[in-house]
Amino acid sequence: MTFQTYDCLQMLPIILLSLSGIALLFLGFQKSRALLLPATLLFLVIAFVANFLDWGKTYMYFRDMLLVNNLAMIFTGVVLLSTFMVVSLSGSLADDEDAQPAEYYAILLFSLVGAIMMIGFENLIMLFVGVEILSVAMYILTGSDKRNLRSNEAALKYFLMGAFATGILLFGIALLYGATGSFVLSGIGNYAHSATNAGGSMLLFYVGMFMLLIGMLFKVSAAPFHFWTPDVYDGAPSLFTAYMSTVVKTAGFAALLRILSVSFSGVYDFWWVAMAVVTVLTLLIGNITAVYQASFKRMMAYSSISHAGYLLIGLVGLSQASKPAIAFYSLAYSLSTIAAFGVLMLVARNRPLNAAVFGDQTTLARTDEHYDAFNGLARKNPLLGFVMAVSMLSLAGIPLTAGFWGKFMVFSAAADRGAVWLLVVAVLMSAVGIYYYFRVVIAMYFREGQTDTIRVAPFYRIVLIAATVLTLALGLLPNLFQGLI
Amino acid sequence: MNPSLSYSLLFVAAALFSIGLAVVITKRHAVVVLMGIELMLNAVNLNLVAFSQYDPSRLQGQVFSLFVMIVAAAEAAVALALIIQVYRHVKTVVLDELTDLKQ
Amino acid sequence: MEGFFMAFYRMGWHRTAANYVRFIANLRSFLSLLSMNTASYLPSDYIPIFIQLSLALGFIVVTMLVTHNIGPKRHSVKKDDPFECGIPTQGDARAPISIKYFLVAILFVLFDVEVIFMYPWAVNFMQLGQEGFIQMVLFMGLLLAGFYYVIRKGVLKWE
Repeated sequence: MTFQTYDCLQMLPIILLSLSGIALLFLGFQKSRALLLPATLLFLVIAFVANFLDWGKTYMYFRDMLLVNNLAMIFTGVVLLSTFMVVSLSGSLADDEDAQPAEYYAILLFSLVGAIMMIGFENLIMLFVGVEILSVAMYILTGSDKRNLRSNEAALKYFLMGAFATGILLFGIALLYGATGSFVLSGIGNYAHSATNAGGSMLLFYVGMFMLLIGMLFKVSAAPFHFWTPDVYDGAPSLFTAYMSTVVKTAGFAALLRILSVSFSGVYDFWWVAMAVVTVLTLLIGNITAVYQASFKRMMAYSSISHAGYLLIGLVGLSQASKPAIAFYSLAYSLSTIAAFGVLMLVARNRPLNAAVFGDQTTLARTDEHYDAFNGLARKNPLLGFVMAVSMLSLAGIPLTAGFWGKFMVFSAAADRGAVWLLVVAVLMSAVGIYYYFRVVIAMYFREGQTDTIRVAPFYRIVLIAATVLTLALGLLPNLFQGLI
Repeated sequence: MNPSLSYSLLFVAAALFSIGLAVVITKRHAVVVLMGIELMLNAVNLNLVAFSQYDPSRLQGQVFSLFVMIVAAAEAAVALALIIQVYRHVKTVVLDELTDLKQ
Repeated sequence: MEGFFMAFYRMGWHRTAANYVRFIANLRSFLSLLSMNTASYLPSDYIPIFIQLSLALGFIVVTMLVTHNIGPKRHSVKKDDPFECGIPTQGDARAPISIKYFLVAILFVLFDVEVIFMYPWAVNFMQLGQEGFIQMVLFMGLLLAGFYYVIRKGVLKWE
């Protein structure tokens, strides 16, 4: 029963991120806001380097609370990279009188701690605490645009839905504890293996498992638990929508992958049909509803639901191959989504909606996020047009982009399990996806519009280019993650 | 583990949880919904502490319930702040009347 | 009455109740949880709890009775009026309250609840030893950092 305090020294990213979050809070008391953004980026780079220090080793930290292995490090790397890009697109916050960038950055870093806990948890306590750190931070960031009623309303709805999901998740955990007497993933996995062989009633276990899965599916916005997603993604400030749809989704799927592969793989036959039904529903609802959206931002919300569906295919075809597949897909999806939101923010900022149109002060801060805003964009801003086009192609899964290989890997993981009908649905829905992603490309290149040349800050430009180059590079070298895990 | 489980413990917790669930689904006042959610979390606490009786190491469930309490308090603080912010805009916290995001 | 208790007992609810009572109310029995068997509690073990309960209730009742009876009482029309400051009452009693009360209330809830983590530590203080102490100092340090942030932010300034 000895305490191994020195363990903590190796669990660097979590500790570094917590401390740098606190440091940022106090940096915010300075008059000048110029230091905040570089400091945040510096902290993220340090955490990124620290994350990979243990490469190739497998450690269990904090008395079997957190596991760190190559897969966890890759997922952590993906969320840290996504956060780095989102933060570097946030330069305009410093000019906004009402914004409080120090607090936003601190909350972002704190929420990353939650995401890392979700990625590497070995004990269900860590899953719960991680989910909650991430979610509570998201509730606040969703409502961070205090002048805007839509933002506040979205935050309240997100909170009520999220807390409801947490309740279900927790009840599932409690029932699993009752059935197995353990919160440790491998303990639950052992029970599942031995109890299925021994026969007897496993009612408590199954009910707990399904409630836990429902809670997690809520968090990653899979249908039929997706109904909060469009409103919340639409109402939140675009910067935090980009964060939500990438980091939260990546962490959520890493957590699902972990619990399904370690704890519930022994009862695969029991849950795979239910998960397959959820997958098909998610794909259908996400893709078909996205077609009917007039707002680009709302389309991206439905698109994120549909991508949750593709990631779920990787979970249904659970095997050793689905681990790198889901990691690769998360990376490809995050890169393109953040680049797309980066362009959207630039376009929307240049087209503030006339408040008189709505006749309402609360909509003063609203900006135009419709497809029409992109009309003729590529003529005057070839770079922005190209960045947007590549990310749309990648999201649609066109070859030579990262998105294609992401889909390919996920699909082949499922094909190994023989779930052909699932793949038929997925491929059909990808075809539907091409329609609504190409609407933006057509608007940018073939429609007439009165867009001016948009001024892009140098660093902003570098990040957009880097995301595009990475997307194309991953499309040409898809074997990047193979053999690493 | 489990056959000797006293199911009456489960019934109380499940009843509490269902009441909380019903409140969340049927009530339209944001604060009342929040109360329903708290009820659900407390049902979980009851379950955890009850199951902890059968745990060989005995403390895990009780420690978990501590975490649930802390998180519930933090959530409530954020929720009340959000509710006040919405109330300032529209002078109501009845969820059905918040329709700005509907399309 | 006995029938009620028997039904209570048969349904096993006493175990839940006992768990809660043991968990929160009595630090010493919490310690002994580690070694003792669940079923070995006698009714007499709950005597300290009942004593504490009656003390707490007794204190409230006695203070209420004493404050009502001990002081002199003078009645007059103005004095029995709900508001005696001279201005006639007007408006609704549910007037908007200063937002400062709300912030203080929220901060109270947060900092108050964190103390829960000190209970298990206090109970196992001796076993956890120096390592546990360092960890608790770290925890309190983080909490105090938050508190210092709140003060710097000026939330507690009352003007």
